[in-house]
Amino acid sequence: MSDSTHDTRINALEAGIASGRLSRRDVFRRGAALGLGAAAMGGLLGARPAGAADKVKLTLLTHWGTKEQKDPMDKIIAEYTKANPDVTIDHQTVTFDQLLNRITTGQLGGAAPDIYHFYNLWMPDFIGSNLLATPPADVTGNIKSAYSEGTVGGASYKGTTWGYPTEVDLYQLIYNKKLFQAAGVEKAPETWDELKAAAEKLTVKDSAGKVTQAGFMLLPSWDSGVVHPFTSLLWSNGGQYVASDYSKALFNEQPGVETLQLQLDMIKAKTAILSTNLANDADFESGRAAMTIMANWWGATLRASKIGMENVGVAQIPHTAGHQPVALQYEWLWGVSQTSKNQDAAWKFLTWLNSPRSEGTSSPMGDFLTSALNAIPGRTSDQKAHEAVLNDPFVKPFVEAAPTARSEPIIPGAQEIKTALEKQIEAAWYGQKPGPDALSAAAKQADSILKEKG
Amino acid sequence: MGTSAATSGATTLVRTRRRRLNRRALAGYAFVSPALVFLLVFALFPFLFTLWVSIHDWNMLTPIGTMPFRGLDNYRYLLNEDPLFRQTFKNTVYFTVGNVGLSVILALGLALLLNSPIKLRPFWRAAFFAPYITAPVAIAIVWRNILDPDYGLANGVLAQFGVPAQPFLSGLNQAMPSMIAVAIWQGIGYYMIIFLAGLQAIPADLYDAAKLDGAGAWTLFRSITVPLLRPTMLFVIVINTLNSLQVFDLPYVLTQGGPVNQTNTLVFYMFNTAFKFLRMGRATGMAVMLFLVILVMTLIQLRLLREKE
Repeated sequence: MSDSTHDTRINALEAGIASGRLSRRDVFRRGAALGLGAAAMGGLLGARPAGAADKVKLTLLTHWGTKEQKDPMDKIIAEYTKANPDVTIDHQTVTFDQLLNRITTGQLGGAAPDIYHFYNLWMPDFIGSNLLATPPADVTGNIKSAYSEGTVGGASYKGTTWGYPTEVDLYQLIYNKKLFQAAGVEKAPETWDELKAAAEKLTVKDSAGKVTQAGFMLLPSWDSGVVHPFTSLLWSNGGQYVASDYSKALFNEQPGVETLQLQLDMIKAKTAILSTNLANDADFESGRAAMTIMANWWGATLRASKIGMENVGVAQIPHTAGHQPVALQYEWLWGVSQTSKNQDAAWKFLTWLNSPRSEGTSSPMGDFLTSALNAIPGRTSDQKAHEAVLNDPFVKPFVEAAPTARSEPIIPGAQEIKTALEKQIEAAWYGQKPGPDALSAAAKQADSILKEKG
Repeated sequence: MGTSAATSGATTLVRTRRRRLNRRALAGYAFVSPALVFLLVFALFPFLFTLWVSIHDWNMLTPIGTMPFRGLDNYRYLLNEDPLFRQTFKNTVYFTVGNVGLSVILALGLALLLNSPIKLRPFWRAAFFAPYITAPVAIAIVWRNILDPDYGLANGVLAQFGVPAQPFLSGLNQAMPSMIAVAIWQGIGYYMIIFLAGLQAIPADLYDAAKLDGAGAWTLFRSITVPLLRPTMLFVIVINTLNSLQVFDLPYVLTQGGPVNQTNTLVFYMFNTAFKFLRMGRATGMAVMLFLVILVMTLIQLRLLREKE
């Protein structure tokens, strides 16, 4: 029996007595029934603390499970629940590898969280499956006015913005200044020709012709390590990843073939290595590779290594004549579950989390991203509020590239297409097939996926 | 009257016996029912559900009841249009043949060695068995470090002999043999123990009698050990084949299927198809086909080895 039903019955009883329509027996019988109902309800509710009936419980799912990440986020959550005692928030975490699994199993088992923090590449699948709630108009307006166009684009799919962007990651050319100096390379390469020339100068071979120091490092066996640098170079050569209507892949057209050929030329000339170290970064950290294309989050790894950040330089993606450097950007965002019964409360919390505490200050999320994650916050005002942090020589070039960066293509079957492209590019790198054939094979797979899922 | 009384008595006796039998049968069913329920819930239902999903398109984000029906499309795609399915199948066969073949030979060799009176025998037996009871993921992580091209112990040892550093896990032609080597190291202790049990079950007087007839070591092995070990060998081959066809942990931790899918096995591809590409229909299609392959191979192995018995 719900509270409202109970109240309605008491009112009816009172009205009945007042009008004289109910006999004493009726009053006794109905009163007893009401008493039993109230007792039953009291028993049900008795186990809960006073006022708990009005509390809203939100479940939050993130991949920030390490102590260094979870504790600061929990502190922020505690700040919110203290100011909003009617809300409790359960922060659940899993590793990044398990995040998608947890989302799918939660959805299947009816244990879906209210709020997700997720990789924007998963949006097409989530939206196609009606997993995400459409944000209210005020939230959408807030996002569109407070974040850069590229960042809003990364949180949008099919014309709708689906949540608050958080961590933004961009790809740039990262190089070892010490090795540059030793090789007499005065500045970071800006064009493809300069990249090839610098890689050649920076390559050192021993007397047996074995490469002991490579000019450039490619990162096989990791989809983002292969595809993100390739796409950055592709865009900086005027190419496209897919057609704007998602109807077909375009990375196999001439600019794409030239991009892959650039990498193959460097592999053939032995000025680029396929990083054989499974950690993928040890070759750069230990000085066996002078340049690579990587994301800003790598800064935390480099800082923890022995390379010395004063020796690490960051430059724009090398481009070809007539084109501009374009960095690939991907991001994470907060979204609310379509099945959440507390969508309003969820959006209210997210709005608080992502809004400046006061004029000119950072949002709690901005504080978290810059301190606990060493990441670039997507919100423009957060970037300004954390200018000192973002002015770090390693981070600054990434922030400066953000306005012209392009979001990783958010397309149906994005992950599958990305993996197909990765495998085919690797096949070309390892000499299993010519570059154009590899890209055509990847495009054929991509077209089939786009046709099916698009 | 007397006859009818006798008949009636006999009928009652039969009825009583039947009742007792029924009661005993009921008791039997009661005893097996937990196992039966367990089997239905955790084996039969998942199997039937897998079959059901394999003829649908499902990304695990939509309710089960709304899965679009695809008929045999998933199977058709895997068999006709998916080059990676064919490659991962070949890789799995390569891994299975290499692992089973070498494991059986090496485990038998070890068992023969450790069945003979050598020094520190219990220690060696325990040492060879230890990897089997170690967590596979821990083993894979340790071996990933041993086989690291720059800092790994393996290349360190090779360097002492002037051999250049080898890309064990990232070389196109070396990754799968390296993975097989790790698998053999991991499982050999278990198979060795099974062979040891088999060897110890062979009556010693058979060897003694053969020796009296002048049989040498090779003849003893060929004419007594191998024939009498055949059931053990059958067990080892079948179990090892089943395990090898389902290998997942090693590619997952050691290579992520690379380089260029050279170590991508069927179950690892199935995992990625299901949980990375969210194509549960195709992944379950693969699971059904793998089940059929395992079933057929097991039946063939059983038949071949039993025929020889």
